[in-house]
Amino acid sequence: MATWAGREDPSAPTELLRLTGVSKSFGPVSVLRGIDLTVHRGEVMVLLGENGAGKSTLIKLIAGIHRLDSGSIQFDGVPVQFHSVAQGEAAGIATIHQELNNVPQLSVAENILLGRLPSRAGFVTPGAIRRRARQALARVGLSDLDVDQPVGRLGVAHQQLIEIAHALDVEAKLLILDEPTAALTAEEISALFAIMVDLRSRGVGMIFISHHLDEVARVGDRVAVLRDGDLIDVVPADTDQARLVRMMVGRDIADQYPRHRQTDGESEVLLDVEHLCQGKRLLDICLRARAGEVVGLAGLVGAGRTELLRAIFGADHYDTGVVQVCGRRLASGRLRQGIREGLGLVPEDRKSQGLVAQASVRENIGYATLASTAHAGFVDRAGQAGRAEAVARRLRVRMRDVDQPVADLSGGNQQKVVFARWALAGSQVLLLDEPTRGVDVGARVEIYEFINDITAAGATVVMASSDLPEVLGMSDRIVVMNSGRIVGEIPADQATSDQVMALAVRDVESPEASGGANPPEVSGETDRAQAPNHGDPIKDGGNR
Amino acid sequence: MRKLHRWASVALSAAVMVSLTAGCSNPADGGSGADASGKVALLLSTMNNPFFVSIRDGAQQEADNRGVSLNVLDAQNDPTTQANQVQTAVANKATAIIINPVDSDAAAAAIRPALDAKIPVVAVDRGITGVTVDSFIASDNVAGGKQAADILAKAIGESGEVIVLEGIPGASSTRDRGQGFTDRIKTYPKITVVASQTANFDRTEGLDVTTNLMQANPGVVGIYAQNDEMALGAVAALGGNTAKAVKIVGFDGGDDALADVKAGSMVADIAQQPKLLGKQAVASISDILAGKTVDKTQSMPVETVTQDTVDKFTQANS
Amino acid sequence: MTTGQVGAVRRRAGQDPKTWSRRFVANNGPLMGLVVLCVILEFASHHVFLTAGNLSNVLVQASTIAVLAFGQTFVIVAAGIDLSVGSAAGLTAMVSAWMFTSAQFPAGIALAAGLACGVVVGAVNGLAVAWGKLPSFIATLAMLSIARGLTFVISGGKPIPTPSSVSFFGSMIGPIPVPIIVLAVMGIACAVVLNLTVIGRSMYAVGGNIEAARLAGLPVKRILVTVFALSGLFAAVAGMVIAGRLQSAQPGAATGYELNSIAAVVIGGASLAGGVGRASGTLVGALILTVINNGLNLLNVSAFWQQVVMGVVIALAVFIDVIRHKGLSH
Repeated sequence: MATWAGREDPSAPTELLRLTGVSKSFGPVSVLRGIDLTVHRGEVMVLLGENGAGKSTLIKLIAGIHRLDSGSIQFDGVPVQFHSVAQGEAAGIATIHQELNNVPQLSVAENILLGRLPSRAGFVTPGAIRRRARQALARVGLSDLDVDQPVGRLGVAHQQLIEIAHALDVEAKLLILDEPTAALTAEEISALFAIMVDLRSRGVGMIFISHHLDEVARVGDRVAVLRDGDLIDVVPADTDQARLVRMMVGRDIADQYPRHRQTDGESEVLLDVEHLCQGKRLLDICLRARAGEVVGLAGLVGAGRTELLRAIFGADHYDTGVVQVCGRRLASGRLRQGIREGLGLVPEDRKSQGLVAQASVRENIGYATLASTAHAGFVDRAGQAGRAEAVARRLRVRMRDVDQPVADLSGGNQQKVVFARWALAGSQVLLLDEPTRGVDVGARVEIYEFINDITAAGATVVMASSDLPEVLGMSDRIVVMNSGRIVGEIPADQATSDQVMALAVRDVESPEASGGANPPEVSGETDRAQAPNHGDPIKDGGNR
Repeated sequence: MRKLHRWASVALSAAVMVSLTAGCSNPADGGSGADASGKVALLLSTMNNPFFVSIRDGAQQEADNRGVSLNVLDAQNDPTTQANQVQTAVANKATAIIINPVDSDAAAAAIRPALDAKIPVVAVDRGITGVTVDSFIASDNVAGGKQAADILAKAIGESGEVIVLEGIPGASSTRDRGQGFTDRIKTYPKITVVASQTANFDRTEGLDVTTNLMQANPGVVGIYAQNDEMALGAVAALGGNTAKAVKIVGFDGGDDALADVKAGSMVADIAQQPKLLGKQAVASISDILAGKTVDKTQSMPVETVTQDTVDKFTQANS
Repeated sequence: MTTGQVGAVRRRAGQDPKTWSRRFVANNGPLMGLVVLCVILEFASHHVFLTAGNLSNVLVQASTIAVLAFGQTFVIVAAGIDLSVGSAAGLTAMVSAWMFTSAQFPAGIALAAGLACGVVVGAVNGLAVAWGKLPSFIATLAMLSIARGLTFVISGGKPIPTPSSVSFFGSMIGPIPVPIIVLAVMGIACAVVLNLTVIGRSMYAVGGNIEAARLAGLPVKRILVTVFALSGLFAAVAGMVIAGRLQSAQPGAATGYELNSIAAVVIGGASLAGGVGRASGTLVGALILTVINNGLNLLNVSAFWQQVVMGVVIALAVFIDVIRHKGLSH
C-alpha cells in the first residue's frame, strides 16, 4: 500500500541526513573533498554550483549510485552505506533525475509503479495498479490524468511530474530533485513548487538542484554552495544573489544579463518570415529580425517556438509562406541552402540534436564547414583544427585540447561548441532554442557575451527561451507565441514578466487576441548602447 | 528506444518473410513457385554444390523420360526450410516426395506429415534417422572410403604422411567416408595420418585448410578429401607444381574433379554417380506409384576413377 | 601550422612515456590480443606459426574477410549494418566470370562490370535505407537473398571459370601473393577515406548522431548511399580475390561471410551503435579470426572443438574491450 502518512511527530529527531567528511575520486580526479552537510526533516536544501562542481556526484553518493571513498553518511539516525539505488529507496531516499527515466511505451500507471508492480502469484493486478497510481498522481496535482495512456504521449512537464509521483509512491523521507525545472514552463514550475511546499509541511526533507537563482529563495530554506568539489558554505536561502554567484564562480559576475543593446530599428532586415504556416502548429507567422538585434521568442511549451525555428532553418517543411535570409528566398525544408545563406540553429537539446558525443571538439565545431573547406573531397585537417581551436578559445570553451571528445565537456562548454560551429560558418542569422538550458551561470554569461559580440558585428539572433528573466534580460524585443500564433510583441526595456506571461497564456481564440497578431516589425524604443567592439568577430577564425 | 523496438519487430517479420520465400523459391531454374500439385517433389538440401545439381539433372532426365512432372525445391542447407517444404508439398498434394535431407536427424520429424498423408517417400544420398521410408538410395560411402584408402596408398607407394580433409562435422557422409578410410588405411603400417581437419565440404575452406596443414606438415605426400570441392581447394592450394608431388584423392565424381583427374592434378576420384542416384530415385518412385515393390535400401556403387579410367567413366555417365 | 596546433603537439609530446605506453595498450586492446594469440600459437605449434611461409598464408587467407570487413567498417561507423556483403562478393565474381565466359566480353571489361555490380548492389541498399527509410538490417537482409539468388540464376548452380583479369587476384607478383597486395591497398584506402575525406568524417557524424549531423548541414542521405556503395565495392573486390584464388567463380562463394566481417569490425573496436571504428582495428579483427583458424589447423584441433574455440574467442575479444572501456571511463 502506498502510504503517505504525515510525519509531524514532534518527538522525532529533526535531523534526517548527515554527511561527515565525504570524499570521492574518480581515478586521479578528486571530485568531492571532505563535505560536511546536514539536511533536516521538512527542509529544502538547495545545492548550488557550476557544472562540474560535484553536485551530481554528491547526490549519487547519497542515493547509492556511487560509493564513498571516505567519510560517512547517517540517514534517519543510522550510519548507512548503500550499495544500490534499491537499498537507498528502501531506506526512504527517492531521486528525480535531470534526464527523464520513464519507459515511453508503458502506461502512466505502470511507470509510476515501475519496479514494484503489485502482483498476485506473479500476475499483475490492474485494479490495484490504477488505484495506487491515482493516489500517487493526486499528490502531484494530476488527479485527472488518464493512467492507462502511454507516457511517451505526454509532454515533458507531465512526464516529470509522473517521475515525482513514482518517487512519492514509496514512502520517501528524503526527495532529491536534480534540476527538475530545467524543462518546465513558469506555470509548471509554480505548480511543482506548490507540491514541494506541501511535502515540506509533511516533514519530507528535500535536496534541490537548480541553476536558477530566483528559484532558490522561492522554495529553499538553506543553500549549500559547491565549487570544484569543496563545500564553500551553507547560507540561508534569502542570501543576496550576487553573493551566491560569487560563491559559486569564485569571482564577481557584475551582470547576469550583460546585453548591450544597439539596434536603431533601421538596420538591414537579415531574416524576413512572411505568413508561414505549418499544419496546426504554425499559423500565419510573420517575423523580421534586423542586423544587430536579438529577438526573444517567449511562450509556453508547445506554443510553437521550436517548430518555428526549425521551419525557418529548413529542418522541417512548412506548407505556405516565405522565408528570406539576407534578401534571398529559401525553399521549404532546404536546410543546407539555409546554412549557405547564413542561417545557423542551436537546437533545443544539444545531446540529441546538437552534438556528436563521441566525436572531438574539433570535429563538432567543423561539421558545418567540412565540405566547404575541403579540397577535392579531402578534409582540410590542419586548417580546420586551427580554426576550430581559435573559435573555441574565443568562446572560452574549457577543454584539454580540441581533440578531446565533446562528451567529456560540461554542459555549458558543450553548448559553446554548438555556438562555435556557427561562428566558424560565419552565420549571420542565428536561431537559438533554449540556448542556456542546463548551462551554469559562468558559462551562461560567456554565451551572452558571444551573443553581444556577433550582434555588434552585424548578425542577428532569434532566441526562443522558457527562461523568462533571460528573455527579458537579453532580448531587444520580445515576440510572444501562443498556440502556433504570434500574439504580441513588446520592446524589451518596457517588458515585464507579467506582461509576457499574460500574452503567453491568453486564450487566443478570444476576439481581442487578434489585435496582437500583427507582423511584429516595429521594434519600438530600445536601449541604444554603443557596440563594445568592432570588426567581424563571427568570421574570425584565423590565426593569432 | 521506441525506435529500436519498432525496428526489431519489423526485422523479425521481414526475416520470417525472407526465410519463407527462400524456402519456396527455386534458384536454379528461376523458381517455378510453390505449386507442387500433382507433381513429384524433389527436395534437395542445397544447389550450392554441383553434386546435388547433378542429382537434379539425373532426376529430371529420368522424369522427362517417364513423363513424370517434377518440382525441384532447394532448402539452402537449412533443415527448417526443408521442413516447411515438406509441409507445403503435402498441402499441395504432391504425389510423391524425393528428399535429400539437409540433416538426417532433423528430417525424421520433417518428413512425418508426408508419411501421415501416405505419400510415398524416397530418401536420396542421406538417410533419415529412425524412419522407414519407401526406399533409401545412397552411394556406399563406407566402401568408398576404403577404396580411397587403397588408391591413395597405391599412389604414394604404401608409405608416408597423409592428411584428411573432413566434411561438415556430424554429417553421416563425413562419418562413413571417414570410417571407411580410417579402417582401411590402418592396414598400411608405413602410412600415418598426421592431421585430420574439417573444411566443411567447401572449396575455399579446402584451400585455406590445406595451406595451413602443409605449413605444419611439410612432409605430407597424400591428401584424402572427403568431397570434390575440398579436393579442388587442395589442388588450388598446392598449385600446379606441387600437385603432382602430393597425391590428392577426392570423393563424389563431379565434372571439375574428373577434369583434374584427367589432367593429373588429382590422382583419383571416388566417383559417386549423382545422376544415377537421381535417376534411380525417380525410377523407384514411379515403380512405387505403379504398385511395384522396391528395395528398402539401394546402395549405388562408387567407382574409383583414375587417369586411365576417367574417359570411360565420363562416357558411361553422360 | 597554427599556434593552436603547436600547443596541442607540445602538450602531447609533454606526456611522459609511461602514460603514453599505457595509453597505447589501452587504445589497442585488440592488437594486444592478436600479439598474445600469436605468441601462444608460436610455442604451441612448435615454431611453425611464425614462419614467413605461414605468415604469408595467414595474410592471404585474411585478405577476403579483411576486405569485406573494411567495407563493413564504413557501414558500421555510420550506425548501419550490411548483411549483403557475402552475397555481393559471390554475385560480383559470378558476373565477371559470366560476362567473360558466356557473354564473351574482354577480361578487363568483365572485371569492371563485376566491380560496378558491387557498387550498384551497395547503392541500392543505400537508397533503400536513406530514402526508403528501411532499417539497414532489413534492406541488406533482403539484398543478401536477392544477390545470392541472382548468383544462382546466372551460374545455373555451377562454378564458372574466371577471366584472366579476375584470376590475377589470386596470383603472385614476384614473391608477393596478390591477395596481400589487395589487402594492403584496400586497407589503406579504407583508412584514408575514414580519416581524411569529407565523406569519411561525415560517416562518423551520421553514425554518432544522425539528427545532429543533419542539423549541422551534412547531406545525410547522400552520405548513407555512398557508405553502402563503398561497402558494395569492397565486397566486389573481396569476391574477385575469392574467385581468383580458386580460378573459378563459385555460386556459393562467401556464404555466411557477412557475419565474419561484422565480427572482425566489432573485434576491432567498432561500436554497433555507430560513430566509432578504425581501419586498423578492423584489420586486427580480421587477422584474429584468421589466425585462430590457422592455429587450430596447425594444432590439429578437432572440428567440434574449433567451433567452440571460435565462439569463445569472439566473445572474449569483445568482452575485454567492454571491460577496458568501462575501466577507463571512471
